[in-house]
Amino acid sequence: MAHLRIHLTFPEDRVRDPIIYEISKNFQVVPNIRRADVSDKTGWMELELVGDLSEIELTIDWLRKKGVHVDPLEKSILEG
Amino acid sequence: MSNPSVPIQSDSAAHSGVKALKCRECGRRYELLAIHVCEFCFGPLEVEYDYDVIGRKISRQSIEAGPVSLWRYKDLLPVLGEPTAGLHAGMTPLVRAERLGKALGLKNLYVKNDTVNHPTLSFKDRVVAVATTRALELGFTTIACASTGNLANSVSAHAASCGMECFVFIPHDLEAGKVLGNLIYKPTVVSVKGTYDDVNRLCSEIGAEYPWAFVNINIRPYYAEGSKSLAFETAEQLGWRVPDQVVVPIASGSLLTKIWKGFHEFTRLGLVDENPLLKVNGAQASGCSPVYQAYVSGKNHIVPVRPNTIAKSLAIGNPADGFYALDVVGKSGGQVEQATDPEIIDGMKLLAETEGIFAETAGGVTVACLKKLAQKGSIRPDELTVAYITGNGLKTMEALAGSLSQPVSIDPNLSSFRQIVNPKS
Ligand SMILES: Cc1ncc(COP(=O)(O)O)c(C=O)c1O
Ligand SMILES: [Zn+2]
Repeated sequence: MAHLRIHLTFPEDRVRDPIIYEISKNFQVVPNIRRADVSDKTGWMELELVGDLSEIELTIDWLRKKGVHVDPLEKSILEG
Repeated sequence: MSNPSVPIQSDSAAHSGVKALKCRECGRRYELLAIHVCEFCFGPLEVEYDYDVIGRKISRQSIEAGPVSLWRYKDLLPVLGEPTAGLHAGMTPLVRAERLGKALGLKNLYVKNDTVNHPTLSFKDRVVAVATTRALELGFTTIACASTGNLANSVSAHAASCGMECFVFIPHDLEAGKVLGNLIYKPTVVSVKGTYDDVNRLCSEIGAEYPWAFVNINIRPYYAEGSKSLAFETAEQLGWRVPDQVVVPIASGSLLTKIWKGFHEFTRLGLVDENPLLKVNGAQASGCSPVYQAYVSGKNHIVPVRPNTIAKSLAIGNPADGFYALDVVGKSGGQVEQATDPEIIDGMKLLAETEGIFAETAGGVTVACLKKLAQKGSIRPDELTVAYITGNGLKTMEALAGSLSQPVSIDPNLSSFRQIVNPKS
């Protein structure tokens, strides 16, 4: 079992999508939300995905294709 | 290696004012280990101090009697024993910038000159001095970071000076000159194929997997505290005073929040009088300004951006402390400004021509934003103002290509000199 902690940022046209429901429906991963702040224009969410690494990676690819910005929980790690 | 999850208790630990790690969001407390995230809410952890204990130990006199480095403020830094790395970091000049001030219409301007920090010529030597000392206390023998520039230089140099193993992660398309600035110290430089997003994700996973001190991941709560020393030095060098306005470059936003914290700690401990006027202003490059965008939109949501600016040291698309930096700017009554690439170059040139300080692009951002704040009247002429110049121009010379005048070329004789140069006196 792999655990991956991520920070999601939603663009305006994705804020109302039932993303978590869709993750559970389409992938063998368990999403566990810890913090979120979603308004009608933008939003972010911090969660842990638990499952096989390959399923987690498929989930992340799917999120990116939907236009959701996926970062590690630490956000930008690469510094100047 | 020894077990990094067991902090070493030195004699002084019992009397230390360093209390715990504390979640910035839910307030839960954790032991002083190599951890950075609250297990409960995923909020970032920050070092908590016991200011009563510190207040009994620290005074202007005790600080003045300390070493000529940031370690004179050791009581307010998150280490338990004596410093073991970066012993010469900090205590950089605070320059009374009369000529730059004149150009900008400011009568009371100072420049904090971290272009001459030791050993690698940027403010990162402060945070890395603290991170390395703490990493050694925690028993780590390997130190790591992910960086395109200043941070990697500093981590590589500190690791070399302490005999630690060192891993530096860089994107595969980094300029040769920047890579060389790390290689000379002989760390393992890992060039990662892929986008910046890929590098970030890989490093997060490596940080969770390997028993290393990853300075800006699991050591980040300690690392970040090193930036407070910029505020401490400023206050001391101003004759134990807090300025009215400061201008601070923003990448992750950590530096800005810690400068604010530093002034507050000094005030709380009675080392300086409170200055309720203090405004903290942020400076970003237009080509990467997520904090500026959030500031002008009036929302506290940071929307990640894809960086495209010559100010590469500030090119952080999704800043970890962006939200907290916005909060500090807001509650202090400061502002966030942004500067375009040509404005950044002009800022670098202006600083060099007026004060003789050759700053990197981040310094150009700070000067350009300072200029805008002065022109708008947001900084008034008589306000005591400090601009933080955080990195050295010798590191970003490529940014100046084509923007400086050429040397005057003459034949090797006096008449050619008289004819072509013809100086007035
Ligand atoms: C020269 C310079 N100035 C300022 C910063 C900004 O620091 P922070 O990430 O804490 O906002 C950096 C970060 O890399 C830097 O290299
Ligand atoms: Zn928490």
